[in-house]
Amino acid sequence: MIEFKQVSKKYPTGQLALYNINLTLEAGEMVFITGHSGAGKSTLLKLVAMLERPSKGEVLIGGRSLSKLGRGQIPNYRRRIGFIFQDPHLLYDRSVFDNIALPLRIAGMGQSETRRRVQAALDKVGLTGRETTFPLMLSAGEKQRVGIARAMVNKPTIILADEPTGNLDPELAQDIMFTFAQFNELGATVMIASHDHGLVERMKKRTIVLQKVD
Amino acid sequence: MANPSNKKTAPKRNAASTTNPLSVWWNQQASAIKFSMERLWFNPVSTWITLAAIAIALSLPTSLHLLLKNMQTLTADKREVPTITLFLKQSVAEQQAKDRAELLSEMPEIDNVRVVTREEALADFRKITGFAQTLETLDENPLPHVLILTPRLSLLGDLEMDVEGLSKKLKAFPEVDDVQIDVEWVQRLRGILRIAERIVLVVSILLGLTVLLVVGNTIRLDIENRKEEIRVTQLIGATNAYIRRPFIYNGIWLGLFGGVLSLVIVHVALLFLVEPVTKLANLYGSTFILSGIDVFMTLKILLASSLLGIIGSWLAVGRYLWQSDDAIKD
Repeated sequence: MIEFKQVSKKYPTGQLALYNINLTLEAGEMVFITGHSGAGKSTLLKLVAMLERPSKGEVLIGGRSLSKLGRGQIPNYRRRIGFIFQDPHLLYDRSVFDNIALPLRIAGMGQSETRRRVQAALDKVGLTGRETTFPLMLSAGEKQRVGIARAMVNKPTIILADEPTGNLDPELAQDIMFTFAQFNELGATVMIASHDHGLVERMKKRTIVLQKVD
Repeated sequence: MANPSNKKTAPKRNAASTTNPLSVWWNQQASAIKFSMERLWFNPVSTWITLAAIAIALSLPTSLHLLLKNMQTLTADKREVPTITLFLKQSVAEQQAKDRAELLSEMPEIDNVRVVTREEALADFRKITGFAQTLETLDENPLPHVLILTPRLSLLGDLEMDVEGLSKKLKAFPEVDDVQIDVEWVQRLRGILRIAERIVLVVSILLGLTVLLVVGNTIRLDIENRKEEIRVTQLIGATNAYIRRPFIYNGIWLGLFGGVLSLVIVHVALLFLVEPVTKLANLYGSTFILSGIDVFMTLKILLASSLLGIIGSWLAVGRYLWQSDDAIKD
């Protein structure tokens, strides 16, 4: 499903984030990416989401190289991906409902279907009844869960999470990891970058460790 | 890449791609319309200031155009119709004058001919105070018969109309002593109006550009305020069209409501003018009525202002999207 072929990424600042990565993920697989900060975990995910382009090598999704994707095709490709950031990037002038509904509105979904899907997503992340709340009134964990609900609501085939539990207490972190595992059960390919080794080990999934390049 | 041989299958792609594209299109439009309207209410003060700026910029060319239109109807006023006066020779008898009038009225340039006999002219003069005594002192009527010709109005609009030629032609008739042409002022006025028309056009273009800039700048500021939002929506798969849409609607509303407001301004100004203008017209014995904006012109103004709104916002968003094309990294 996701394939890295001799991928290197050098930022314009001269920093070498990834060097010669070869990696294959099967469809429906769930993997953890660990490593020290600065080892390139985020960069790896960004390459998949086309937020960055590799300096060398190529990333293939479903056998197709991302470098062959035209500019106009990127939005459509991104809709198949749910990206969860460490900072959830919520829109603070809109309610929880409207934040989660955003991907569906972008796809042009009707009102009733949107409502149904958002309710289902809220239910999955345990925020039922908080639709009309605004993000400022939420705790860090709740914000993160809204971010996850927004990433999930469009039923993406690929879920990318960059330190999704970074700001959360251990119990909540565990909960959220199980949520990801659930989505994985439903068939999504999941990549999670995390430096929480204990948590990663408990999940008993394939783990990829990135070494920092010098 | 082959699917692994487990029970997991890829989840269904988002349902929108399977529903009919027309409803997708409509849902996207509806949410953009709703959202852009909410944005206008969200910041009422700046919205009103922008609308006022647009309205004032639009009301100036509108009122100039109106002024011009009114002046054009003034020159077309039947009562003010310009005339050509033929003074016949003293020796010409009344019957001869009437025959000549008959013939003249068949010329293509002439609409109608009125004969004023010397007796009628004298009677007219008597009515004018002060002349009566003077006329008593004369032995005989010094006035000639006069033919008053009304040229065809349509010809007067034509600046090329050969006034000189017509004058010469009329003068060549044996009965005619002198020709006095009174149409030149109309032609001159129309010439002036034609220049004024050009001026109105130039002013309209300049103020139209002003509206464009006002809308463009307002949208640009709005984009600045919503950069984060745009970035987030781009991250989750918004197309440029999706990002552009609410801003375009915003531009339409600004243009449209600005246009409505400018119509209100012009109407109020007209109401303010109607009474003194009617009074003045009465003093000139004219039935001139100040004409306002008709439905057709109203629609034209609203269409133009909306269009300016669309173009202004399109330019602002286009510029932003062009700049940010590669700058949506986290």
